Amino acid sequence: MRKLIALLLALAMVFSLAACSSSEPTPAEPAEGGEEQGAAEPFVVDACIASEPETIDVSLISSVDGSTYVQHMFENLMKYAQTDEHPADDPNMYMTEVVPGQAASYTVSDDGLVYTFTLRDDIFWSDGQPVTANDWVYSWRRLVNPDTAADYGYFLDGIVVNAAAIQAGEKAPEELGIKALDDKTLEISLESACPYFLEVCAFASLMPMREDVVEGNDNWTDPANIVVNGPYIISEWVHDSYIKMVPNEQYYDAANLGPDEIVWHLSDSETAILSSYQNGEYDFIESFPTDMIESLQSSGDCFINPYVGTYYLYLNCDKIPSWKVRAAMTISVDRDNIVKNVTQGGQVPATGFVASGILDSTGQDFAYGVSELGAIYNWLSQQYPDADLTTYAGKCELAKQLYDEAVADGEWDANTTVVYNFNTSDTHKAIAEACGHDWQTVLGMNITLENQEWATYTNGLGEHAFGVARLGWIADYNDPITYLELMVTGNAYNYGLYSDPDFDAAISSAKATAAGAERDAMLYEAEETLFGEGGFPVLPVYYYTNMYCANGISNMGYTPMGYFFMQYATPAE
Amino acid sequence: MVSYTLKRVGAALLTLLLIMAITFFLMNAIPGSPFLTEKSTPQQIALANAKYGLDKPLIVQLKNYVVNYLKGDLGTSLKMQEGTPVKDIIFHQGKFVLSIKLGLISLAVAIIIGIPLGCIAAYNRGTWLDGFLRVMTTVGVAIPGFVLATLLLATFAVKLHILPTNSGQLTDWKSYIMPIISMSFYYVCYVAKLTRTSMLDAINQDYIRTARAKGVKTKMIVLKHALRNSLIPVITYLGPVTAGIITGSFVVESTFQIPGLGKYYVQCVMSRDYPVIMATTVVLSALVIFMNLVVDIAYKIVDPRITLTNKEA
Repeated sequence: MRKLIALLLALAMVFSLAACSSSEPTPAEPAEGGEEQGAAEPFVVDACIASEPETIDVSLISSVDGSTYVQHMFENLMKYAQTDEHPADDPNMYMTEVVPGQAASYTVSDDGLVYTFTLRDDIFWSDGQPVTANDWVYSWRRLVNPDTAADYGYFLDGIVVNAAAIQAGEKAPEELGIKALDDKTLEISLESACPYFLEVCAFASLMPMREDVVEGNDNWTDPANIVVNGPYIISEWVHDSYIKMVPNEQYYDAANLGPDEIVWHLSDSETAILSSYQNGEYDFIESFPTDMIESLQSSGDCFINPYVGTYYLYLNCDKIPSWKVRAAMTISVDRDNIVKNVTQGGQVPATGFVASGILDSTGQDFAYGVSELGAIYNWLSQQYPDADLTTYAGKCELAKQLYDEAVADGEWDANTTVVYNFNTSDTHKAIAEACGHDWQTVLGMNITLENQEWATYTNGLGEHAFGVARLGWIADYNDPITYLELMVTGNAYNYGLYSDPDFDAAISSAKATAAGAERDAMLYEAEETLFGEGGFPVLPVYYYTNMYCANGISNMGYTPMGYFFMQYATPAE
Repeated sequence: MVSYTLKRVGAALLTLLLIMAITFFLMNAIPGSPFLTEKSTPQQIALANAKYGLDKPLIVQLKNYVVNYLKGDLGTSLKMQEGTPVKDIIFHQGKFVLSIKLGLISLAVAIIIGIPLGCIAAYNRGTWLDGFLRVMTTVGVAIPGFVLATLLLATFAVKLHILPTNSGQLTDWKSYIMPIISMSFYYVCYVAKLTRTSMLDAINQDYIRTARAKGVKTKMIVLKHALRNSLIPVITYLGPVTAGIITGSFVVESTFQIPGLGKYYVQCVMSRDYPVIMATTVVLSALVIFMNLVVDIAYKIVDPRITLTNKEA
């Protein structure tokens, strides 16, 4: 009995400890607005797009969710504005296009190297101070400053003058090619003509920031400290629970904003998120169990948007040195089977490395610019005109032929076991199993699948310790370079160690050439080289889609870069 | 007594220091970096390592941890909430309190319901009630926590709409129900099984036979004589369980969207957020050590015959 008393004593002490240290945030009911009696019920959007963001510091963000929150709170020189077009069959969702935001107008020099932006007169920070050109100068310099150690610190490399040298520590941040001519005029100098530069000017990591708010204040993103220039501002942030935003009354278009509150719930449990949606607690969600997609689609809840991203596999050129084996592996994967039976989210079988949705200078989808077959098959169809590359059976036939040739020529030992690494996920595992099955049955290859948790996995990528490894790449801007550049010799993301001087030269030339037919031709040629003799360092599997469930909300915005916009949302009729 | 207490406190501090060192070297031994993302370059990682001092020799980093901890500085998060002081994340954001609250209520439920159930089963040994309770507790021990949590969620929130799916900050009584049931059900069943077994052992002891011979009523024998002795193994079990139930709430916190420390503890390891791993490990270890220390000292208070050192023995 004494032991029981002793334990109870101990429990009592811990209870009192818990009580004493109680400093939890003020309880809040996200769904209730605290409206005055008799007033119209406030329109609250309860959305869940991810768990707690790593950061919402403009310079430090790198995730889509963090960028989405920033896009709601800040506005760049350019912004995403809704069009009349719907990305999918959801009448409540609208596509967006890049239009001037905080900039009233802009001019471009004849050589395309200098952009001059004139800011609007009616733009103010949430504390009432005017937004000035220096706010961009400060923000962009902070991003490229190596001391900031931003994930997107490299983003302006090769675009804005001196960005790469500053990142490398060879020049001071003050030497970046951006300057404020006066409070309302901003001049940006580019290293070479950049056809997608206006889109860059809408990017979340390049939003303006106030030096006096950010500098020396590690907690500047706290609701009590944050100062924004966009449509919404954080009013409450209960970490790992929700972020609540309310309209920023200083925003020039505040009168036309939609929700009285946007509550971003922070959760990563797909089952829990779906339960909350089905229980009416959430109005908009982006993640839910894959096996529920079909029933959610049939109930009219789930929609599938295009998403500019490619799910692909690296084929390590050191471990699989024969391009014929890599080509055989690339064309023997049954992509239709993967998108129909494994991922089930309306993904599109990939026909090239550059994601569908990236456009060339004529507005043509780059993925199908040369032929409907796509980049993977263009060169092969010319070299092997008798092969039927329009059917899976025909692809398998050619794959087997290429593989046997490699073995016969001594380029490949048929007894070699290839290690396929993937990070822990049911979907990645199922895709790996499907690919492994195809290679074993079609080519007779030996494949070992290895599952690793994310941090270990990415470490292995950097050490090139794999035969095959998966990755996904979402476009940062709408230009084929965002993909093709990854395969240049020495690029940090060239995990498969591909190296081809012709490919490198084509990319280098394209980067120095203004948008137009000549540049398009260089880029098409580069991708054809990637999937030509000596190539096939990557195996594109499918083009991503972006699924969501929405109920009771209309007038939402979307960009295929993955951002959803709720600032002009209205209650659905 | 003072010297005994000081010795125990000294041993506790030493244990904590050892835990810090072991955790530090283990987390640095596993591959990965807090700055690795799909789009991070080696240059970016090197810059970030330099910014946060991760490029210094391990022994220097460990020394910095110890020195800073002695000053009450737990460091700042590198990944989970980049730049936020870890002390704020654990204590001021309410994570510690939420997990403690959830764990202790679940523990109390396990004791309050589990022990009487075990007594009832033992008291009615061989009857249908005993059989029913044995089946129920066996099933309860076998059901994984996430299955029960999902089942409750689907039934009471999604189907019947009587309980919230998102328990959040546990602000009202309804938000407690499903997380507490999910967390405590296993322990209720285990404690009931343990109580039943140890009570049946006690009932066969000589002093119980003597009591029966004296004509004491069965109910009195169970409650007054058998229960006391049969609780000792239960108490022994509850000691370590207290720590486990507080720190092991990952599944329940994920399922019911509760921003507690249990969930955070697992996530910070996955994302290699070194300062958060160190701080949560130290805080939770300190809690366990503190619990043991309090129990040991309390033993000494209530039973001076208890000795815990070889010398005293």
